[in-house]
Amino acid sequence: MAPLKSLEQEYPILDSNFQSFCASHDIFSVEDLLLHDLYVLAAFAEQESSSERLKQGIAQVLSIIDGQHQPWLNGIELLEDAQRNKHVLSTGCEGIDLLLHGGLRVGQLTELVGPSSSGKTQVCLLAASNVAKKHIGSVVYLDTGNSFSPQRVTQFICQHSDPAIDQAKHRTLQKVMNNISCKSVFDIFTMFDVLHQLEFNLRSQMQGGDCKVQLLIVDSVSSMVTPILGGSGSQGIHSWHALMISAGYLLKKLAHEHNIAVLVTNHTVGGDGGISKPALGESWKSIPHVRLLLSCDHGGSICNVSILKHPSMAVGKAARFMIHN
Amino acid sequence: MRVASHSHRLDGSAGGCGTVNGAQTAWDLLHEEAMFPRITTSCEDLDNILGGGINCKEVTEIGGVPGIGKTQLGIQLAINVQIPVDYGGLGGKAIYIDTEGSFMVERALQIAEACIEDMSECGGLLRKDFQAFQLKMHPNNILENIFYFRVCSYTEQIALINYLDKFISEHKDVKIVIVDSVTFHFRQDFDDLALRTRLLSGMALKLMKLAKDFSLVVVLLNQVTTKYIDGSFQLTLALGDSWSHSCTNRVILYWNGNERYAYIDKSPSLRSASAPYSVTSKGIRNSASNCKRIKSGVVHLVISRVGHG
Repeated sequence: MAPLKSLEQEYPILDSNFQSFCASHDIFSVEDLLLHDLYVLAAFAEQESSSERLKQGIAQVLSIIDGQHQPWLNGIELLEDAQRNKHVLSTGCEGIDLLLHGGLRVGQLTELVGPSSSGKTQVCLLAASNVAKKHIGSVVYLDTGNSFSPQRVTQFICQHSDPAIDQAKHRTLQKVMNNISCKSVFDIFTMFDVLHQLEFNLRSQMQGGDCKVQLLIVDSVSSMVTPILGGSGSQGIHSWHALMISAGYLLKKLAHEHNIAVLVTNHTVGGDGGISKPALGESWKSIPHVRLLLSCDHGGSICNVSILKHPSMAVGKAARFMIHN
Repeated sequence: MRVASHSHRLDGSAGGCGTVNGAQTAWDLLHEEAMFPRITTSCEDLDNILGGGINCKEVTEIGGVPGIGKTQLGIQLAINVQIPVDYGGLGGKAIYIDTEGSFMVERALQIAEACIEDMSECGGLLRKDFQAFQLKMHPNNILENIFYFRVCSYTEQIALINYLDKFISEHKDVKIVIVDSVTFHFRQDFDDLALRTRLLSGMALKLMKLAKDFSLVVVLLNQVTTKYIDGSFQLTLALGDSWSHSCTNRVILYWNGNERYAYIDKSPSLRSASAPYSVTSKGIRNSASNCKRIKSGVVHLVISRVGHG
């Protein structure tokens, strides 16, 4: 939270007199003020010469904080929002779409878990191609393993199209491919930067038509967390745990506030008795809305997907799908 | 309340809708990919399943049992990177990080001489290129263009990989980094397994970043170990669980009877396939049982490259 000094310009009542009063009580930022006992602080303010101004200052800071939280919504408003804004995006993969009753839900964080080579990146590329192709919206793809393959995306886009006039197809392909933005991120701090930038750009842009971001893919979120997982507080004031949870919350916030479907991938690690389990541990489990487990027959193109977690469907429901070459 | 410190200018190069600064559109990436050729492995069958060779801006892991030819392939690539672009290379230099002491300089010399010999045989097709090539390429020059680093512990390995950023900025003509083998120093006596996982995954991301930022080919050689799975002993790559997701592509080298084979185990764009190869006195070549003469194999490669030029 911002230091009090930086608020002076916008709110002149928080002048240097107010700041030095707060400093004498070890209050330097808005967060410090919240942690302090406000009755005690007001009592101290009474004793000062400029007590009225100081009390107005305190009230001002409290109203700034009040303006921070989301507006209250009742059930009807939530339902309207869900019906109007929170639709479903088809992944382009029949098996997964059937399992999820349509596809990825806007406003939710969906996680794909699976061992190496189980098809996670393929599903991500397919979903990106499908959303861009059907002009549902634009796609932002964050890639940690240099696995974004434009060639593969081209294959997916041209899969079911008419072998019609070449020039028209070329221009369409260009239009669709321009709907997918890809950025390589190699550490969690860069990802935070990118997500905050995205948030800022989405808030300040006029949203309309094809340009609206509908799908955000992070492949993979576990690659960014594992270099810090289990480490001590050497990363500064935040431990790895807080970073991982904040990343999850930021993704969910983006999904809900800007009507985006977020898709992330996670790998598996060996668990007790040699059974593999999703990486990132117990505290990450509750973050995604939907968790899907992928596995592939070795060398085969038939993959299995089953539900590990879903807000409205039973765990264990499974389906098979095939990614065509 | 976050004070925005960096500029939020909509970057013109971001294309699309400029929602993420510094991002590229898939269309731009598709054309960029065409600009970066792959490095040949000198084995046509292997090149075919790899889509032409080992790719830039990607981390490719090559795993196999001892004796299958991993180091041979590593040395072959360190030499092939120096071949001019039209002949299947990148015209660049190589960094070879040796963790086990497997690099044999006499063998590198032998492979370099064979490479120049093969180039000369088809050099007649492109007269002027060949003369320029002949002036530059001498086995000693080839050895000079391989930067060799020997590391003896995991700390040295991590320190070196951290240092590569600076080294490659100063030596912009480096086009390939080979680590032989990448997990060797992490297998023995690591008490703190959580620390090991952190170090390995951090190292993997650094290598990914190097590959992307400098448009390098990164090749990581890995050993194979036996693991007790489902009631039987199976071969798996070393440090499988903590490491297997850390590469873009994975190729497994294995024995099929008396023949050596390579199998694409993981790739975002290549389909799973196998190809035979052999290790000869000249280096990695097509499998002898295919009855293809080596010369015609190289000539075929030259023609296909020139066609794209």
